[in-house]
Amino acid sequence: MGAKLLSALLPVTCGFLGVLFSNLPVTLFGGLVPPPMLGFIPVYFWCLVRPDLMPPSAAFAIGILQDVMSGGPPGIWTLSFVVSYAVIQRQRDAFAGLAGVAAVLGFATAMLIVCATAYFTTAAYYWHMAPLGPIVGELAISVLFYIPGAFVIGSLHRRLVGPLRSDF
Amino acid sequence: MTNNSWKIARRSNAQLPLVIVLALAVVLVLLGKAQLGLFDRARMRITDWMAPALESVHAPIQAFNRWVSSADELLVVYRENLELKDENARLKQWRNVAVVMQDRVRHYQEMLHAVPDPDINSVLARVIGRASRPFLQTMILDAGESRAVKPGEAVVDARGMIGRIYLAGDHTSWVILLTDLNSRIPVTIASASGKAASLQAIMTGDNTAMPLLDTLQQVVTLHPGDQVVSSGDGGLLPPGLPIGTVVQDAGGYRVALLADPASSEDVEVLGFRKPAEAPPSASPNQLPAVAAGLPPAAPPQPAPVPGSAPAAPAKAVVTPLPQMPRPAGNISAQAQVPRANIPAAGGNE
Repeated sequence: MGAKLLSALLPVTCGFLGVLFSNLPVTLFGGLVPPPMLGFIPVYFWCLVRPDLMPPSAAFAIGILQDVMSGGPPGIWTLSFVVSYAVIQRQRDAFAGLAGVAAVLGFATAMLIVCATAYFTTAAYYWHMAPLGPIVGELAISVLFYIPGAFVIGSLHRRLVGPLRSDF
Repeated sequence: MTNNSWKIARRSNAQLPLVIVLALAVVLVLLGKAQLGLFDRARMRITDWMAPALESVHAPIQAFNRWVSSADELLVVYRENLELKDENARLKQWRNVAVVMQDRVRHYQEMLHAVPDPDINSVLARVIGRASRPFLQTMILDAGESRAVKPGEAVVDARGMIGRIYLAGDHTSWVILLTDLNSRIPVTIASASGKAASLQAIMTGDNTAMPLLDTLQQVVTLHPGDQVVSSGDGGLLPPGLPIGTVVQDAGGYRVALLADPASSEDVEVLGFRKPAEAPPSASPNQLPAVAAGLPPAAPPQPAPVPGSAPAAPAKAVVTPLPQMPRPAGNISAQAQVPRANIPAAGGNE
């Protein structure tokens, strides 16, 4: 019972921890390198492999925490996460079938949707187009961090969560 | 990801359908637009809670940042040292000029009985966190409402203004930097040559290192090197805070900031409240007739009381103009000269 509960809570917990880590108010390299969007990696990963453990409401909750922690306008990241979740869910077979570099490109596509949604929502919010540099930097660094992130999450998934039994 | 070995679940047991969650997310954005401080309380609670941890990791992070930034500086240290010596010699000359000017301004203010600048309470604070995100550039200070820090107050370091307090918790506060998208500051642009009149403008952050200058006039010519200081319009910021210098850009004019928020360690939060201007009290001496040198109209005579002595004939009495009270303390010349750059006369180097 305890192990089952742990495996059920693990994806959302990883999302929350990712948000907390990536929003620590600590900058390395003088703020030149933006923090990666670690909270979105579990959303993407478990939306593909175990959507029963990463429902839209979980993506919504992780997005809200990202909004609270990042200090930006309320709702921007929540909307971005949910929009990207919707796209991933519709194209799940295509995304989940990717491996190696293609899997990283798949995450890059999902992250591009997140960043584009956040960028245009913020532009509408302030009625002003923000410079593209910071959001492109955020996209690049998040994709870079997906490689170790997916490795860690994959290990956790194999050890603690596992595939859905009904799929066998 | 590895070996394409993931078993994909075919169905989702979502409690809330995706459409409803999407609609909720849109509502949240609209709600956030209507009520900007929607998450502020939660943000400050989390920041207050994290403050001890941030303070403890601050030193090693700062040491790492210093090490990274100094790695490439080792190559140019000799040339930089020569340039600094040269600059120091020039600054000493400017310091002497500034001390003379400060003395002269004080003298003129005493002659004019100038109203002293309002008091500015400052709170010293340490930077315990920084965040540079795509839509927010901020820093976190270890001073909050418990030390009388309030939202809207200016944050400065030894070089100039860095930003304003955005949120204030009990023990921490968030600073919105001048470079942030949300930052708008009324500024005064003083000509570097001193030949042109000063201009009013709005300095707008756009998440780049140099904020934009939005001048109120349609056609305006600025020169690189013109000084940008806070204008004090609106009464929230003290006037005359040094901010930066004008640089020309393809799309207009920008401000090269004097302060560097990435390296600021100790800052001051300036508590400034513009005193409410009281209307001048009317006195007989300020009547137009007196001002024109004529005697004022005699006040109406009271009706004589039967049995009393006859009243003396009315006589115009002109009292001298009251002396304006002299300012109690030293008149600071804060509006005219940068605070940090002008040491006290006779101070050590």
